[in-house]
Amino acid sequence: MSDKDRLLDLLIEFFSLPPNTLPKDISQNALPAWDSLTMVQLISELQATFSIDFDLDEIQRLRSYDEIRTALANKGIFLQETTGSA
Amino acid sequence: MLNFRQWIHRFPDRQKAAVTAAVESASIAKVRHALRLLEELNAEQRGPALEVELLSTYNLEPILPILQLAISCLPSRAHVRLAPLDNIEGHIAQAGSAPMRGHPNARMIMWRLEELLPEALYPLSHGFPERLATRLDQLLERVERVVSLHQRNASGVPLFLSTIPLPVHFSNPVFAAQHSVGMFASVARVNQKVYEVACHNNGVHVLDVASWAAFEGRGQADVVLEFLARQPLSPKGQVAFALFVARSLRLLITPRRKVLALDLDNTLWGGVVGEDGVDNLKLGHDFPGNVYLRIQRELLELRHSGVLLVLLSKNNEGDVREAFASLADMVLKWEDFAVRRIDWNHKHENLRAAAGELGLGLDSFVFLDDSDYEREQIRQLMPEVLILNESSDPLHILRSLWETDAFDSLSVSEEDRQRHHDYAVRQSRDVKAHRNDLEEFLKSLEMTATIEEVGPRNLERVITMLGKTNQFNVTTRRHSRAQVQAMLECPSSVALALRLRDKFGDQGIVAVLLAVASNDPAALVVDSFLVSCRALGRGVENVLWAALLRRVHRQRVRRLEAEYVATSKNSVVSDLYDRLGLQRIEHNSSLTRYLMEPVVPAEDPPWITSENGTNER
Repeated sequence: MSDKDRLLDLLIEFFSLPPNTLPKDISQNALPAWDSLTMVQLISELQATFSIDFDLDEIQRLRSYDEIRTALANKGIFLQETTGSA
Repeated sequence: MLNFRQWIHRFPDRQKAAVTAAVESASIAKVRHALRLLEELNAEQRGPALEVELLSTYNLEPILPILQLAISCLPSRAHVRLAPLDNIEGHIAQAGSAPMRGHPNARMIMWRLEELLPEALYPLSHGFPERLATRLDQLLERVERVVSLHQRNASGVPLFLSTIPLPVHFSNPVFAAQHSVGMFASVARVNQKVYEVACHNNGVHVLDVASWAAFEGRGQADVVLEFLARQPLSPKGQVAFALFVARSLRLLITPRRKVLALDLDNTLWGGVVGEDGVDNLKLGHDFPGNVYLRIQRELLELRHSGVLLVLLSKNNEGDVREAFASLADMVLKWEDFAVRRIDWNHKHENLRAAAGELGLGLDSFVFLDDSDYEREQIRQLMPEVLILNESSDPLHILRSLWETDAFDSLSVSEEDRQRHHDYAVRQSRDVKAHRNDLEEFLKSLEMTATIEEVGPRNLERVITMLGKTNQFNVTTRRHSRAQVQAMLECPSSVALALRLRDKFGDQGIVAVLLAVASNDPAALVVDSFLVSCRALGRGVENVLWAALLRRVHRQRVRRLEAEYVATSKNSVVSDLYDRLGLQRIEHNSSLTRYLMEPVVPAEDPPWITSENGTNER
């Protein structure tokens, strides 16, 4: 089990955020750079990194760290914070 | 990926690693990181400026950083700008008339059926076939109009016009194939028009997205990104597409390589002519000779496209001429090579001489050779030369010929087709010896030679070598197993084999030396001394010879006798014993006899570590 939160790392790198950014501060509302073009690139990034395809209704609920984490969990991808024993 | 690795081979390690990670992961974050690192390079490292304008009917904005990175890797100081989406004619007209607006170095038009003729995806809803046929004709006219508009407004700017790929997302492919205005035929007719207008307009080239997509398969498409943003490519597809676009632009800034210098044995045919004999070479219509036949066909096509072929072979010229003359399936003829260097010199010396003969720089050369040793030698001593292949497998060699971009060309002129004839072979110039460089190279191979007694463990290999080796073989005595065993039983005889390991792996037993008693109890006669052709030029003979001298010195032998028996194949060793410091005592055209008295020990060459095998006496 990795200690690192891969999704948090990915989002921090993707949006060039300070390394100590908290998950709750990562959302479309909080980040002006998160526009519709960035959204397309982010979905591509998540698909490439986690080797998954999203369904259309999932695509519409990827507006924050928490929502993305939930979508990944629905795909069977569990990050360190959501489960202690995956 | 082979080509991509070659594009970036001069980037510093940090940039190389970042760019490679970006391309392998298809991650936009890694792409941006790599682009930032490339900006740290100086102008020379970054390459020439290259401004590219993309006009597209689908949305390339999300993949702009990937396109920018791929084109930067050529390398170039790339600046990619996107025209407004799906406004091709409007943009060309407006850009052309805007005063002071700098023209790009290249303009690319990328379009597809989904926007150009969406009705073709639902033909029965749109008046199939008559009305669709009319719409198709209008589209064909539009293709011509776009090109003439560009030629009027931006004449001199190279235009890359894309073909349209077959749509990936549609139903009823069986019906789509059944009619001359069916969807598949519509795609084919648009593309035929693209090929024709490119052919008839100077400076207009085809960006064959249709062939690219067919080659990549469905994996390049992504239906979610298509619906979300009219961006049709999957993450992997984005990278592959960007590399494909970059390769198409590469010829604008990088000259085509002009010369292919290639090996002969195990490259143009299977086998070694000097060892296996002409009759046993593999070349023909059956496996595996058909692979070599295909290699030759590809090479002949290259020569007709203006690439000069240079033959570099360690062989006796007589053997090679005989093979060219008598092998029925040879596609390449003796005269197809602008320069032929068939001798026992180092290949880097011969390559340098060929460059002098042709009056071309080493950066015009590509090198093809099945031997790891020869490729490594050229890689280290002549970094400007592009090494075509990465392994000795003939199928890999063929693939490298198929996949390389070193000989890409947008067109083949009459001059290209005649180039071969213009290079009459000129006076060969002096070959400068680069002894120090060569020694450094040989050291880098990390060679270890193990001296073994000939015995049960290696007897098979020794007998095979005695039976087969023709070139580095001073007496060419084909001893039988019984004869060798009889020699081994005699206590005063010395029978040594040399096993070679280098950084490529264990090369096995590559040299054998047999010395037997003479009438004089204080003397030994060298009966056989041979080295496998794959270990020539590395100094293993000196190691084996030094081992013999150490041994006979211990046995209190005072006198060594040796002879060279000339054959049609072994001229490479005609002066071997002279080089080893023996004295000639008798010489005629077929036999030279040598003597060493007293026996003086010799040094191993400094680039080979020599050790004794466990079974040395």
